[in-house]
Amino acid sequence: MFAFIVRRLLLSIPTLFGVLVVVFLLLNVAPGDPVQEMVGERADSATIARLRKELRLDEPLLSQFTHYAGGVLRGDFGNSYITQRPIMADIRERFPKTLLLAGSAMFLASVLGITLGVLSARNPGGWFDRLGLGIAYLGISFPVYWVGLILILVFAVILKWLPPSGYGGIKYLILPAFALGSRSIAFLARVTRSAMLDVLGGDFVRTARAKGLTERVVIVRHALRNALIPIITVLGLDFGYYLTGSILTETIFSWPGLGRYVVNAITRRDLPAIQGSVLFLSVVFVMVNLLTDLAYAKADPRVAYS
Amino acid sequence: MRRLFLLAIPAILSCGGGGESAPSRKTIIDSRDTYDPRSMDPALSTDVPTGRAVTYIFDGLTRFTADGKVVPGLAKSWEVSADGITYTFHLRSGVKFHDGRPFSSKNVIATFQRVLDPKTKGGRGWPLYPIRGAEDFAASKATRITGIAALDDSTVVITLKEPFSIFPKLLAMPVTSIVPDNPPADFGQKPVGTGPWKFVEWRHDDYLRFAKNPDYFDGAPKSDSLMARIIPEASTATAEFEAGNVDVFSVPDEAGRSWQADPGKNKLLTSAPALRFWYVGINTTRGPLKEVRVRQALNYAVDIRTMLSAVMAGRGTVASGVIPPTLGGAVPSGNGYTHDVAKAKQLLAAAGYPNGIDVDLWAATTDQSPRLAQTIQANLAEAGIRANIKQRDASSVREAARNGQADLALKEWWADYPDAENFLYPLLHSKNKGAGGNVSYYSNPHFDALVDQAHREQDESKRNLLYTEADKLQYDDAPMIYLFFYKDMYAVQPWIKGFTVPAVFNGQRWTDVTISK
Repeated sequence: MFAFIVRRLLLSIPTLFGVLVVVFLLLNVAPGDPVQEMVGERADSATIARLRKELRLDEPLLSQFTHYAGGVLRGDFGNSYITQRPIMADIRERFPKTLLLAGSAMFLASVLGITLGVLSARNPGGWFDRLGLGIAYLGISFPVYWVGLILILVFAVILKWLPPSGYGGIKYLILPAFALGSRSIAFLARVTRSAMLDVLGGDFVRTARAKGLTERVVIVRHALRNALIPIITVLGLDFGYYLTGSILTETIFSWPGLGRYVVNAITRRDLPAIQGSVLFLSVVFVMVNLLTDLAYAKADPRVAYS
Repeated sequence: MRRLFLLAIPAILSCGGGGESAPSRKTIIDSRDTYDPRSMDPALSTDVPTGRAVTYIFDGLTRFTADGKVVPGLAKSWEVSADGITYTFHLRSGVKFHDGRPFSSKNVIATFQRVLDPKTKGGRGWPLYPIRGAEDFAASKATRITGIAALDDSTVVITLKEPFSIFPKLLAMPVTSIVPDNPPADFGQKPVGTGPWKFVEWRHDDYLRFAKNPDYFDGAPKSDSLMARIIPEASTATAEFEAGNVDVFSVPDEAGRSWQADPGKNKLLTSAPALRFWYVGINTTRGPLKEVRVRQALNYAVDIRTMLSAVMAGRGTVASGVIPPTLGGAVPSGNGYTHDVAKAKQLLAAAGYPNGIDVDLWAATTDQSPRLAQTIQANLAEAGIRANIKQRDASSVREAARNGQADLALKEWWADYPDAENFLYPLLHSKNKGAGGNVSYYSNPHFDALVDQAHREQDESKRNLLYTEADKLQYDDAPMIYLFFYKDMYAVQPWIKGFTVPAVFNGQRWTDVTISK
């Protein structure tokens, strides 16, 4: 297990280096100019030239890259061109907020999605199954920003139960977490249902029932545990969706997380901020994939790592 | 995506009115900022949210009132020499920065040097370029600005390169706000100024908080605290306003009609002409667009009245030049190109293009740009002008237009200071081709001479005559499609007293605004 983790971590180094190179090159061929964004709507060419020099943007691409990559190796993502703040500090400030939002969405999605799936599988074709199917269809079909706006309309404007937007205590978290998790709830409900149906038809379930175990124990301890592998896969894959989906959710709910930071950086062509955030998110992805793989082993003893 | 957001707005608007009773909070909450400010450091104020916040915390030598007048700030008065070159500013005495340090003439000199210093990486030195030696200092060719000197602690003498009668207006821009000595590296995060509001807290992408400066030299603000919320999505800001959580809200263009139609909301609306100009820059150096008759044809082809009413909910005045009607020198609206497709075709034929022309029309994805671009495209098509819309993000459009790669570029210009010069000079003077603002690459020595002469003219009414002449001259040359001057529409909660819509973006400092029970 330990060797597996070390090997996976070592393997992630070339991946991350590739990300670094690709992002750097892509941003250099993309249209738009960070210096023009800095100076705003009116500037003179002398100022622009001086700023290019200050930011080393007049140097050859290779020398820019070595300078940047050298900083990254030392753990320094550089300073934002626009705000002049260190990128690391910006990410440190915002990522926990995105993680809180994504984590809450994931929690909601797991609890609601798996429950819905399990209850649907208990009586396939029954009224609850059909209701669950309907909810799942809606959840998958509605885009996250639309769900977000409807939630704001209903719970903040009409019912006035929750604040429409902003960051703070749990009351600020509920609506965005639900909006972000809505698609996952639907997905998980469907995946759980089909995995459960597969498992519930198995011999060991019949044995368990024959032993006289209560339905509750059969479902939770025997069936659900065996249905977990596909559920973990979906959760792991969905984590990427949580991070990208958080861009829209954070915009709609004015949530001050990393998603909005990236969007702002892109619109202002703040190259170090974009590069730093993408690299950071890539590290997060690598970690999540690793955790997902480790969770397989926990859920299913047959999965072994060597 | 944007379009879908907008579809949802009427749905939100149709439900429930805002809270009628005053909230228990004592903090005034503004909701106009849509993105995080760049910094609180005046030297970095190159965007609107930064400029607004800097204006709360800091003072310049002069400042704007909400209705766009320039009044004394840290300078209580000033004199101009007869030749218009030397400005003597008499500074207020006894003014202290929020940390207790006294303000003096030394701060003025240090501040201006800091703005111009390339190490500051601010990027907006031009408001100080009229000062003798400022450009040399910015280019590191000199160790000090020769044109500025402190006679004593409360007198600053500024010598200009040449007479520039509107110079005091430039000193009211956020970038020239006065900062204390030796600002630390994190000054942009922990600003200290002399202004009516002290900085309290900045939660990035969330809000800014300010507390009143009880010792403000011009009278302390009437309210205790002020908050600027940063809300990127208009629908969300609408919901916050409806819930009574924010006090002032800029009504989105597409929602204007429904707010006006609802009597409960209509009474909350206040609106005023903004110093914002929508236009299509015509690159006068590209293909058929070099020909003046073709450019005039473009102007005859567009139906601005219908566009204003259909896309902008009537929020604007048709432009007959580049000077907004609220400024001196403006040409009255309605004198000029009218919607006349036959005339447009005739001009095109006379210019040698009886079968029309093909052009690229660059437009950003923000605000109403896509819809305006589509309307313009449809209008032009009627006259045989085939416009291919290149819709890109704002940054790419700006870059293409500045580099002269765009035939036509749909643009909006926000004034930095209330003067006709702020439209004529950056947008059309040949010195400002490209990044300076002249994306038309317009070059007319006669026009340049008129604007230069106006720069030097001390007498306001004579200056306005020169502005008018210059504006008419370029209007005939048609280096742009003149669209309209924008009108701001704000919704203000009924419990807010003393708010007026500012003419310039940083003209509202909230000092007279209160929440009344």
